[in-house]
Amino acid sequence: MTPIQPLGRVVATERRPNTPHEFHFWTALDSPVGIGTIVRVVGRDPVNGVIPNVYGIVTEGFSWTDLASPLHDVMGHDGSPADSPVHQTSRAEIRLYTAAVLRHIPEEPLQPVPMGTVFLADEADVEIALRMDGYLKEGSHTGIPVGVYRAGGTDAPIYLDADFLIGPEAAHLNITGVSGLATKTSAVEWLLQSIFTHFPEQKGSIAAVCFNVKGPDLCFLDLPGEIDDNDRLLYEQCEVPPTPFNDVQYYAPYKSDGVALNTLRSNEALLENVTPLTWGLREVLQYAEVLLNKDDIDAKADALIDFIKENVLDKRFADPMLERPHTVTSFADLDAWFKDVLRALEKKDDQSWRTHHVATIRKVRNRLSNISLRCKGLVADDGATSDLPFGSFSDRTVYVIDVAGVEEDAQDLIFARVVTKLREHLEKRDLGVQHVVVFVDELNKYAPGDGPETYVRKMLLDIAERGRYLGLVLFAAQQFRSQVHRRVVGNSGTALYGRMDGDELATPGYAVLSPAIKTKLATLEKGQLMVRHPHFTQPIFVRFPRPAVMRGRDGVSQYPAAQAPTLHSAVLRTLRQLDPAITLGWLQDVTALATDEEILRARNDVVRTRPTDVRKVFSAHFRATVAPRTAARPNTPAPLPAGPADDPYGF
Amino acid sequence: MKLRDLQRQLAALLPDARAAGGESALELLSQGNDAPRLISATLLEEGLFRAQPVVGAPVPAFRAFLDGTQKTVVASYTGGGVALLSGSVAAVVRQRRDNRLYTWRAPVVETRIYAPRAHLASVTWSTLEEHYSGVLVDTTAGATDLIAHPFALRDAAIQKVRSHREQMEQRLAEQWCDAERDPLLIDGGISGSARVATSEIAVGVVKSHFTLYVHNDNLRTVLSLKHRERSSVFRIPSASRSTVASWYLRLRDPSGHDPLWGLVRAEIAIPDALEMANIGKRADEVSQWVLAEVSPLALPDSRWDKMVYGVRDCEEYLRAIA
Repeated sequence: MTPIQPLGRVVATERRPNTPHEFHFWTALDSPVGIGTIVRVVGRDPVNGVIPNVYGIVTEGFSWTDLASPLHDVMGHDGSPADSPVHQTSRAEIRLYTAAVLRHIPEEPLQPVPMGTVFLADEADVEIALRMDGYLKEGSHTGIPVGVYRAGGTDAPIYLDADFLIGPEAAHLNITGVSGLATKTSAVEWLLQSIFTHFPEQKGSIAAVCFNVKGPDLCFLDLPGEIDDNDRLLYEQCEVPPTPFNDVQYYAPYKSDGVALNTLRSNEALLENVTPLTWGLREVLQYAEVLLNKDDIDAKADALIDFIKENVLDKRFADPMLERPHTVTSFADLDAWFKDVLRALEKKDDQSWRTHHVATIRKVRNRLSNISLRCKGLVADDGATSDLPFGSFSDRTVYVIDVAGVEEDAQDLIFARVVTKLREHLEKRDLGVQHVVVFVDELNKYAPGDGPETYVRKMLLDIAERGRYLGLVLFAAQQFRSQVHRRVVGNSGTALYGRMDGDELATPGYAVLSPAIKTKLATLEKGQLMVRHPHFTQPIFVRFPRPAVMRGRDGVSQYPAAQAPTLHSAVLRTLRQLDPAITLGWLQDVTALATDEEILRARNDVVRTRPTDVRKVFSAHFRATVAPRTAARPNTPAPLPAGPADDPYGF
Repeated sequence: MKLRDLQRQLAALLPDARAAGGESALELLSQGNDAPRLISATLLEEGLFRAQPVVGAPVPAFRAFLDGTQKTVVASYTGGGVALLSGSVAAVVRQRRDNRLYTWRAPVVETRIYAPRAHLASVTWSTLEEHYSGVLVDTTAGATDLIAHPFALRDAAIQKVRSHREQMEQRLAEQWCDAERDPLLIDGGISGSARVATSEIAVGVVKSHFTLYVHNDNLRTVLSLKHRERSSVFRIPSASRSTVASWYLRLRDPSGHDPLWGLVRAEIAIPDALEMANIGKRADEVSQWVLAEVSPLALPDSRWDKMVYGVRDCEEYLRAIA
């Protein structure tokens, strides 16, 4: 076995001294050192009888020659780069690097980095340097591979500590980078695969809820994608199978017509695990403040909404002043109730009802009724509900909620309600899994650092600050980290950085990074990330493989979205999920005289109630029709006897 | 030996001695440059002494460069005010591989202690001799007319250190000539060592011109040499040193500079009688080698007009280690 060759030597001068956190070393010109390379310094003199070892990561590089002035080189070339004489000797040149200390062994006494020999870190060194040895040891393995560190021939998997990624010690992950360079979404998909593979059994079950906010990014997570040999090697090194996710469930609201699902995953071949997402009045009213701004919700309006939630919703409500008792379960019912209340007030010529002023009642009616229009497709007038399986979440399952084609208000509503429900169930420990990773892209939009306070931002802050105790973990991505609320990013224990924009890097949040690190960040290749993690005292660069799932644009090309279905085919598709024996002919017969609204209402009712006898419950919504019969040929009288040929009165 | 260590030792050995304050090299202060001289030399090339262009393009033939450094500092003063000096010399051969320079074998670094025995108390000298046997040098040895003026004593010491340095350089040059076959460029003359002065692969390049080996018209010829011109080859005889062949060569365009700007004197071994007729061609060949070394410039060294980069590299290397 050949001895490991030194890479460089530590140097220090009065002007550029070494400190306990930073040191300098020079290398040969052809050394494989670069920004982000991890090195090990072996000290020269023992301290307390032990030769100190110091681990560091290269953060800056310098190079110069013995030229005192650039002008001297100009003179040496007679001012002409093209006609330069042949130099027989290259000038003396230095490669000097600055490294930030990752770890001292022994840790005490903490001294300036000693003069010594510098070696490239091998896999074992990387493990020690990043303090991964603490959570990779036998018996307490909580490492989650995030990628592979590669430098100078060293390949070392880099592990995040599950206790600090999923909780409870720290939690949450924030990823930032410019759009279009396959960092954010790909990295999260890869990391979820890694988590599902390596999340320790003793820590319990885990699922992921991903909000697909743009395009088809997350629409094909259960289909295999193209990866190359380099990717396979990375998968192998990280011990993650290069396969798509086993269990993925998709949820999407309807389009505004209430017929077709509002998702790019609408190809017939892929609909098996796509479920409509529709909510009724009860679900929406709980989160009314998401859709109503501060002008809408003053104290009076808030009081009326609370009154409705507590006394009207899902109950039989009777008032002597009203024409009839009301049982409000849908927006349609609520509107009828409002009409009755307002009619009664007009009749009495009164200005208030049960302390609620008529203007407030009109305002709240207007705003709430409007919700079903603003969120058409998601909110059903008739109270139909099709929801995520809160209470029966499955381990290692990804629940994708496709909100890419949904209006902004509806996106906010979906986001707020789903996350709140997750939190409620996790608090009660009855979600079905013990940990949930919520992936939210475009955090700039949902939790901006400035702008008005919104319900969604408050909720994200709440998750960021308290979620780790519940097992609710936020994986958030955005293009500009500097524009996200500081408490959201500040509470992210782990941060990933892909290719960064120069303007973003110029913001104060990146002041701790050296110019060389910034330059590297601004030029990162696809598949490379800079990782910050509580155990790592300095950012580390890693490579990660392409996720083994079908990319969005490939999925759209291979599984083009279905043409807008007819009402009957859409309803048939839904009903067949409950009763595969139903035929189009039967459906057409049953709904022959029904309007579109009546058919959709019947479908929603069936979806909500999931009856045993689907045909019976569905057909009960329609007027009875006379059974079709083939018209019988009427009896015709016997023909008259033919007259005589010479009958003078004949025609 | 580090200066501080020496000063501590001297303080212990000589109770009345006091350590010197600074570490300035005395070479920077010395006025003891050689006096300017003009010496006649015998022409080796046929015809009159003349300027002639170096024919042909520069040829990179040197595989190594040799230079040495010296540094003389006052370590202590005796009770009588006599300076005890530390003189360090170093020499190195830097070998060129793939356009980069690397150290050939090991550099030579030596330190000696210089003291004027004639001006020291005998007990002081004997104490020094007892402790520094082998590295103690009497700067008054062989000097009959050396006065006790501190500057005179200092200059005498510097001469001894210079002599030591030349010995080191010659030792390395001899090793090269014995071991290698490729040309070696030596900073300075080659006549100090008979082995080197007769080697075909040793070329001396002299930058200083306190002694010019020309007179009258020949001097004018040398001072008016143009860029890439050389003088005729002449012989430099010496009673104490070896005889060598030499010529002047203008490395750079002197326009706008003094007449000695960019002027060097090359030294090579005297060819045997059969080859003597081709001494001019040999001078052209070696001149092509030297001219190939004018780039990169040896800046920021102030002698860059005459110094080749390989020699500067030697000096920088020795400055780092000595």
